[in-house]
Amino acid sequence: MDLEKVSSILIIGMAGNLAKITAKEIHQKYPHIKIIGVDSRKAPRNLSKLNVKFLQINYTRSHFERLFREHKFDVVLFLGRYAHTGLNILSMLTDNLDTKISGIKNIFDLCMKFKVKRIVVLSSFHVYGALPGNPHFLLEDTPLKADFKHSDMRDVVEMDKMAGLWVDKHKAVETVILRPCSIVGPNIKNAITKYLKTPYAPVPMDFNPNFQFLHETDMADIIVKAIDTLSPDVYNVAPDEYISIRDAMKIVGNSTLPVPLFLIEPTAKILKKTLFKIPEYFISYLKFPCIIDNSNLHKALGKLNFKYNIKETLKHLK
Amino acid sequence: MIDLLDNLFSAKIDEEKLEQIYSCLSTQYTNGKDPWGLDIDAAKETLLKLYPFYSEYFKVRLFGKEKVLDRPYMIISNHTGQVPIDAMLIGMAFLLEIAPPRIMRAMVDRFVTSLPFLGEWFAQTGAVLGDRQNCLKLMERGESILVFPEGLQGVAKSTNEFYKLQKFTNGFYRMALSSGFDILPVAVIGCEECFPFVYHLKSLAKTLGLPAIPISTNYFPLPSPVDIHIGDPISINKDLSPDSTDKEINKEVLKVKSKIRSLITRGRKEQREFWAKKEI
Repeated sequence: MDLEKVSSILIIGMAGNLAKITAKEIHQKYPHIKIIGVDSRKAPRNLSKLNVKFLQINYTRSHFERLFREHKFDVVLFLGRYAHTGLNILSMLTDNLDTKISGIKNIFDLCMKFKVKRIVVLSSFHVYGALPGNPHFLLEDTPLKADFKHSDMRDVVEMDKMAGLWVDKHKAVETVILRPCSIVGPNIKNAITKYLKTPYAPVPMDFNPNFQFLHETDMADIIVKAIDTLSPDVYNVAPDEYISIRDAMKIVGNSTLPVPLFLIEPTAKILKKTLFKIPEYFISYLKFPCIIDNSNLHKALGKLNFKYNIKETLKHLK
Repeated sequence: MIDLLDNLFSAKIDEEKLEQIYSCLSTQYTNGKDPWGLDIDAAKETLLKLYPFYSEYFKVRLFGKEKVLDRPYMIISNHTGQVPIDAMLIGMAFLLEIAPPRIMRAMVDRFVTSLPFLGEWFAQTGAVLGDRQNCLKLMERGESILVFPEGLQGVAKSTNEFYKLQKFTNGFYRMALSSGFDILPVAVIGCEECFPFVYHLKSLAKTLGLPAIPISTNYFPLPSPVDIHIGDPISINKDLSPDSTDKEINKEVLKVKSKIRSLITRGRKEQREFWAKKEI
């Protein structure tokens, strides 16, 4: 889809930092595009410089309907990824609609009704779940099992599944689902950045899981490419590089608390009450492998020219 | 016995050889690691520590190394001993005695990868969770794969079943068909004697959710001399595809099994006595 021909974009979850970075990138490259950003949270700073019209709204169907009626959106970016770090769009959806899932469905229905050309949904590699039987390099068609153990992951899995149905069933609205690896950067505040920045965070001493990290600006770049380059499909987004969690911690420069694997969960629970405020589901990713395969993205984009390599990415957390 | 201990403590790997192996592996694994947890430095340390066992304790002899060319293989071996040390010895043989050295990517059970501390050690030395996708990815990278198609039935065998091949699963053949790799049959002789069998606690294993609980007189292996026999590489049947029927695949699997069986028969004839001295 040619971004030169796009006149307006709706960004859902505008208060998030990744949304801000993405809006900045779109504005710099395509200043003619009108960007409407919505969130139930307060407006982030410096949005005016980005030519984003921000609306703080409750996520009700009527609010969205009004929005879709007033602005003819060509593209909807669903960037309100489930984040487990306090405020996030999907938990807001729960607050305001009966269930999160019907809330997401409403937005999809509106996209269909108002002939939005493309939806980009930001999901996460977390949807696959970290499980003992995981092979390395999970493909996009791997069953989504994150909610098997952690019911708090049910929403993000359901959202991803629902978007997946749209990819197949509603061809009129082109849907691109992005399942990025761990996004980190100076502005991102998600579970992994919190973990990496926590001094004396518990690290398994008898297992050293590999992680894939992507810089926030590289992720924003992929979101833009999801509008103008990628075909409707599901894409794992990860660099070719990977790094073990112990090496990642070393680069960030924090001391760690080595703990036997079987004690990592209880330790995290004890520390959670004091210093270590990491969601429970995240601990699974320290216990079992969850590396994603990026060959579908490679096929679509060729060589992945990310601006930052994994070490540079992690150094930004120092 | 004193001789054995003396040799064990004095045996050291030739440093020049070790450096050659290490530099060769370093070119293959450029950052010294891979996504499955392989760690070349840790593997080197392990090789240093286990070399006396390979050389002096098990007095490993390798037959048929000239048959191994500079290309990746799907290595299929019999599984022996109550504790499967055969994988370790095959891995060391392919590192120490075959040029160019290569790290065997042994496909292991989920139980092995989840063992506290040992799981990480196995991963650092090349073991990988036995999964179709892992296997295919490793083959794409040109890695040699080590598979024991008898699975856990191969270990935890009673004495009267020693060296009797158990049922082979056929997944390895489909993987070989996907990659086009030749199959290298291998027979390990001597490991069954390392752990005299007493009893297999099948019900308890089932209750505890463990794959097997073989009771042996000892859990530190007895110093049985070990021979590794490599057979002629078997080309895959190009008329088949990874999606061929079980019936078609099983025919080919039986051919591999019979090759390994004949290697075992030959190996048993040439097997050394339990207290044999190391051949120089």
